[in-house]
Amino acid sequence: MSPADTKMVGTKMADVSTGIPPERASPATAVETPFRRFLSDYTESPVAVVAFVALVLILLIAIFAPVISPQNPYDLAVIDIMDSRLAPGETNFAGDMTYVLGTDDQGRDMLSAIFYGLRISLGVGVASGVIALSLGLVIGLTAAYFGGKVDTLIMRTVDLQLSFPAILVALILVAVLGRGVDKIIIALVVVQWAYYTRTVRASALVERRKEYVEAATCLGLGTRHILFRHMLPNVLPPLIVVGTVQVAHAIALEATLSFLGIGLPITEPSLGLLISNGFDYMLSGKYWISFFPGVALLITIVTINLVGDRLRDVLNPRLQK
Amino acid sequence: MNLSGSHLVGAIVAAGMFLAGGASAEELRVGLAQEPSSIDPHYHNLGPNNSFSMHVFQPLVIPDEKQRPTPGLAESWKPIDDTTWEFKLREGVKFHDGSDFNADDVVHSFERAPNVPNSPSSFALYVKGKTVEKVDDYTVHIKTEEPYPLMVNDIWNIYIVSDEAADATTGDFNSGKAAAGTGPYRFVEWVPGDRIVIERYDDYWGEKAAFDKVTFKPINSAPARVAALLAGDVDVIGEVPTADIERLKADDGVSLFQGVSNRIIYLHMDQFREKTPFVTGTDKNPLLDARVRKAISKAINREAIVERVMEGVAIPAGQLLPEGFFGVSETLKPEPYDPEGAKQLLAEAGYPDGFGLTLHSPNNRYINDAKIAQAVGQMLARIGIETQVDAMPANVFFTRASSGGPDNSPEFSFILVGWGSGTGEASSPLRSLLATYNPDTGSGASNRGRMSNPELDALIEEALQTVDDEKRAQLLADATDLAIGELQGIIPLHYQVNTWATRKGLTYTPRTDERTVALMVGKE
Repeated sequence: MSPADTKMVGTKMADVSTGIPPERASPATAVETPFRRFLSDYTESPVAVVAFVALVLILLIAIFAPVISPQNPYDLAVIDIMDSRLAPGETNFAGDMTYVLGTDDQGRDMLSAIFYGLRISLGVGVASGVIALSLGLVIGLTAAYFGGKVDTLIMRTVDLQLSFPAILVALILVAVLGRGVDKIIIALVVVQWAYYTRTVRASALVERRKEYVEAATCLGLGTRHILFRHMLPNVLPPLIVVGTVQVAHAIALEATLSFLGIGLPITEPSLGLLISNGFDYMLSGKYWISFFPGVALLITIVTINLVGDRLRDVLNPRLQK
Repeated sequence: MNLSGSHLVGAIVAAGMFLAGGASAEELRVGLAQEPSSIDPHYHNLGPNNSFSMHVFQPLVIPDEKQRPTPGLAESWKPIDDTTWEFKLREGVKFHDGSDFNADDVVHSFERAPNVPNSPSSFALYVKGKTVEKVDDYTVHIKTEEPYPLMVNDIWNIYIVSDEAADATTGDFNSGKAAAGTGPYRFVEWVPGDRIVIERYDDYWGEKAAFDKVTFKPINSAPARVAALLAGDVDVIGEVPTADIERLKADDGVSLFQGVSNRIIYLHMDQFREKTPFVTGTDKNPLLDARVRKAISKAINREAIVERVMEGVAIPAGQLLPEGFFGVSETLKPEPYDPEGAKQLLAEAGYPDGFGLTLHSPNNRYINDAKIAQAVGQMLARIGIETQVDAMPANVFFTRASSGGPDNSPEFSFILVGWGSGTGEASSPLRSLLATYNPDTGSGASNRGRMSNPELDALIEEALQTVDDEKRAQLLADATDLAIGELQGIIPLHYQVNTWATRKGLTYTPRTDERTVALMVGKE
């Protein structure tokens, strides 16, 4: 009997110690806004903070690439074939510039090419993500709200789309549409909208059965009003999580397409194309042509994923303590 | 240029010595860049097929490694009048199935070659206009309507098959049922995508084959092919990528063999439209003006392309074939790099500020094709021609380049392409690339710039009907001088140099026709 007694005492004591509020007191003193709360939750993970800072840096590099790059790697008139395949740290033929990360097979400064490549990768990733998200949002809400035949039709289309490997669909689309940034974005949107649609529908179905939607319906509010004013804000958090992961996915997909040589024009290499160019030289020891763009791509995708993971943890009520 | 003549000669001598020394008992494994599409030697007129056919089947006349005619199933040949060639056939030759070779087989093969059902690219062009007559069992006459000096260069593409299996289908060849030739190797099996196996034919009429068994493995990806050689999975590979040459040179376990090919890489310009689709910044087609074409030629630093893009493995070009080939010009040299002169010519032609241009190129057909195109783009940008480069897979590129425009006209304005002279002499590129386009006669079939010059056409026409070798060589050289030197019909960049790699202890005799064949492999 006595061990059970002590146990009971133990739990009671624990209840007392955690139940009484040094922590409870602090949020009460600060002004508790949802954003502050989100911020303090997010910053609990130091890794996520580092990832976020790195991501901001990468974004800044991408945005200001034309300003900070030593060279415009897309201007054929300024790159010189005589400088091709120089190792990191070598100076150019004319002697007025150092290639910090070396040059590729056309004599492009790798550092500048990576800066510009990030610009394309992030641009394509974010643009296709935003468009696909918006599409998925509208279609997913529609499916969830109307249900029945509309829902079936939309969700079977989604199933159909998701049953094909993304890379296969993107390959076919780019082959049909042709080269160019806009074509790549279209292909990536087509590949991604289904993921967003499915996520939105799932969370909207949960929301639809909640009392506030019923209440809004009883008030005689219009369909569009209910969908976008009441349900939308509540399905956004999971969508943001899916969005960040999908942006990373889109960047990887674009790199794959470029690596296969069907993405962007060869005179305007993105990270994938730079890696592919360097691939030819792997056996001959000229590692830097593939290696540095590969590292840049890796860091970009990992930071986006880390931020995305943290957002998922913070925004998911079930995981909250 | 690190391609020394002595290296080449050394390789040939080494191969010769080995062949003379007799055969060893071992297997050879060859890594092929492309697999043949069939074992039937008459099915598909395609490089990999014709290369493979050389092991099992033989034509009357066999092109040697420099595309010079050597006796095959014909011991001798000569023109007996203006329109008739006589071929004396080899006696005592047996097919792999045991049947005897004679004139009937020749007649049968010439009938079969142009008429194989479903052929994706037919051998008919080599047989067209020729009538084969059996004179006796070991003599045939081939007649043409006009004098035809290139008889031998045409018929060496027609492999002789046995008339015993007269109605053999392509499937019968692929399964091995009818794949009997007279070559030094006999066909064993083909597992598409995996391997082709052949073994020595002991009753071969000539020098016996060097290896008991040869296995060909298709390995499309260049880095994978190199890796397979380094790992010891194959003994010989063709089409070694230039990027890996340095690495392989440093490897003690590998020997490299290089030889210049009959293939020129060149730029072709729209010379028939008043307004050309891929030029911007002007209403006219500047490429119609020979001065502009000359300026483009001057703007290109061929040495830089050879050194930096081709890693030294190519030869700067000034005409259609490298020196030493039949019918080349003595006087034409590669255009020296002269950007100032180029700008001046552009200004004279009325384009002091240049114009915009798109260069289209394949990206998987020639050695480093897309990289060459970008380098050309850089060089043109420096003289004020804003150049975009659009590289695409060869199957897309060639369809669009040849007939992608309105009324099946060539779609592009400015392209980078290559041409290998199948005949091993100058009339092939002249007739195909620079003679006036005429689908009925086949002249100018690959003239994607549609240049047309009556004087040039007359010269080419005359050369093609001149049987006297010396006169014909002079006519071809004159035609080349006119077409390239004066008219700038095309802009030559470089001659492709091909590289083969073998494991230490083997040698490869480079072929100008770029073929990778086991017959060229010898032992040190």
